[in-house]
Amino acid sequence: MPVLRLPKFGKPVKYAYITGRVRAMKTKLIPGEMYQRMMAMDVSEIARYLEETQYKDEIDTLSKDYSGTELIEHATFANLAKIYGKLLAVSIDEPSFLILEYLRRWDIWNIKTILRGKFYGADETEIAKYLVPAGELNMEYLSELAKKESIQEVISALEGSDLAPALANYDGKSLAPIENALDKLYYFRMERAVGGTLSVGGGLLLKYVRKEIDIKNLITLFRMNKAGVEASIIQENLIPGGKLYEDLNRLAGQPFGEFLRSLEGYPFWSSISDIATPDIEAISRVEARLKAYLIRYAWALSNYHPLSILPVLGYMVSKETEVSNIRKIVRGKEAGLPAELIEEQVVVA
Amino acid sequence: MVVIRGTKPTRAVLIALRRRIKVAQTGHELLKMKRDGLMVEFFEVLNKARTVRKELVDALIKAEQRLNIAKATEGTVTINSVAYALQKEPAIELSSRNIMGVVVPKITADSVQKKIFERGYGIIGTSSAIDEAADAYETLVDKVVIAAEVETVLIRLVKDIESTKRRVNALEFKVIPDIRDTIRFISFALEEMDRDSIVRLKKLKGKAQKRARAEEAKRAAEAVAAGVA
Repeated sequence: MPVLRLPKFGKPVKYAYITGRVRAMKTKLIPGEMYQRMMAMDVSEIARYLEETQYKDEIDTLSKDYSGTELIEHATFANLAKIYGKLLAVSIDEPSFLILEYLRRWDIWNIKTILRGKFYGADETEIAKYLVPAGELNMEYLSELAKKESIQEVISALEGSDLAPALANYDGKSLAPIENALDKLYYFRMERAVGGTLSVGGGLLLKYVRKEIDIKNLITLFRMNKAGVEASIIQENLIPGGKLYEDLNRLAGQPFGEFLRSLEGYPFWSSISDIATPDIEAISRVEARLKAYLIRYAWALSNYHPLSILPVLGYMVSKETEVSNIRKIVRGKEAGLPAELIEEQVVVA
Repeated sequence: MVVIRGTKPTRAVLIALRRRIKVAQTGHELLKMKRDGLMVEFFEVLNKARTVRKELVDALIKAEQRLNIAKATEGTVTINSVAYALQKEPAIELSSRNIMGVVVPKITADSVQKKIFERGYGIIGTSSAIDEAADAYETLVDKVVIAAEVETVLIRLVKDIESTKRRVNALEFKVIPDIRDTIRFISFALEEMDRDSIVRLKKLKGKAQKRARAEEAKRAAEAVAAGVA
């Protein structure tokens, strides 16, 4: 793993401005009770409602290329990228650094999409449709990357960047190893970056990042233990770090029933205990609960220190959850999924 | 009575026809047995096809639902991105097998069901909804391959049963009766010819006897005349 050189910020770091901006931006989020009303609307009514919210500009801009649920999905992603860009633009010093480190997940996401597109042989316009420039890398840079002829050229273009060590292991056969390496690199950077902050709330943010790593690893264990994959392969897919890494590492490859019994007593167990049974058919239900647990944890942390990075984290998680909730409702309605199933997936404060 | 056109009523033809009717009757029996056998096979395959079709429809509904859940939870943007990472496309292999003389295809699919870590995408950055959709579609492809094989067998069997039935009917209601009629016709004709030749021989015999009697009378008359002189 590369050593991350952390910037040094003078103390005390001023969070008053960014938290003030975030408070104002928070008022524009869709209120929780609105999701219930959206569940009763049809897709066109939801689109009309979204036209009255902060998604108006994106819906207007993208309506020439997309329609229906596609339009809503792309517009919400575009708005997410815009809002995150705005957060970066209005922050300086440590808040800016931490926000950027958090948003690098979208850079990883976009690089993976470009690599996948090149692997498949898709052209750059097709790949561009699935890019969400919500991180440090802007659309122009990503489009240039998407224009490269092959995966090797994309990897060469990223030589010298922080992502290069993760991309170096491409074997020409499968993208899975470098995708995992990129994700591990992201969490490694994030844990180091947050661990280096001395500001108020830094400790809690680190706790959140570790919790996120634990939840990600837990979901991987659920997926792979249920599929009966051997321990060594599962362990390769676990993200180093997190609070429970050692514990979770030991649970890799366990028979599913035994694995579930081992989870009893952990803080997240109460949120999944009613559905996590040995005969569970869809792990996605457990995953949805665990993700909701993590989101609620972030929301709970965001109220601890009003003048810290925590309200910003709370807002970023809320915004991502809002986009995800809208998509779940719209896509669910379009596909005719049962209302209970959609409700189970939607996370409301 | 339908006589095979152009048949000459000769003993050689009669023998040949008798031989032919034996072959036709044996063929008829065999084809009837084949038809019955194919029918039994057809009903067995039909039951299997019904089950397979039901399983296919169930698998399709499940796969669509899983994909819709994945689309809802992850978004089409994610699904399309992940779909690009497909590592190995399934390969279909075609061979053939024989059911009572009917050549039917045998379809085997390779690399359809993959392990969770063999699908080409990274586990950490994806979700279980994607696994479940991929898994459901892999099962669906397997079912499609089985259904394709069973339904093609069914179609081939129906075609062969039809043609066998036509052959059995042709033999039963056309070929064998026609040969039988022709044999009867030739037998009558030969009997007629036999009767003709008997009459002809009798007539010749009568003529010969008449001629002999006339000659004898003539010789007796000459002897009487010589005695008088």
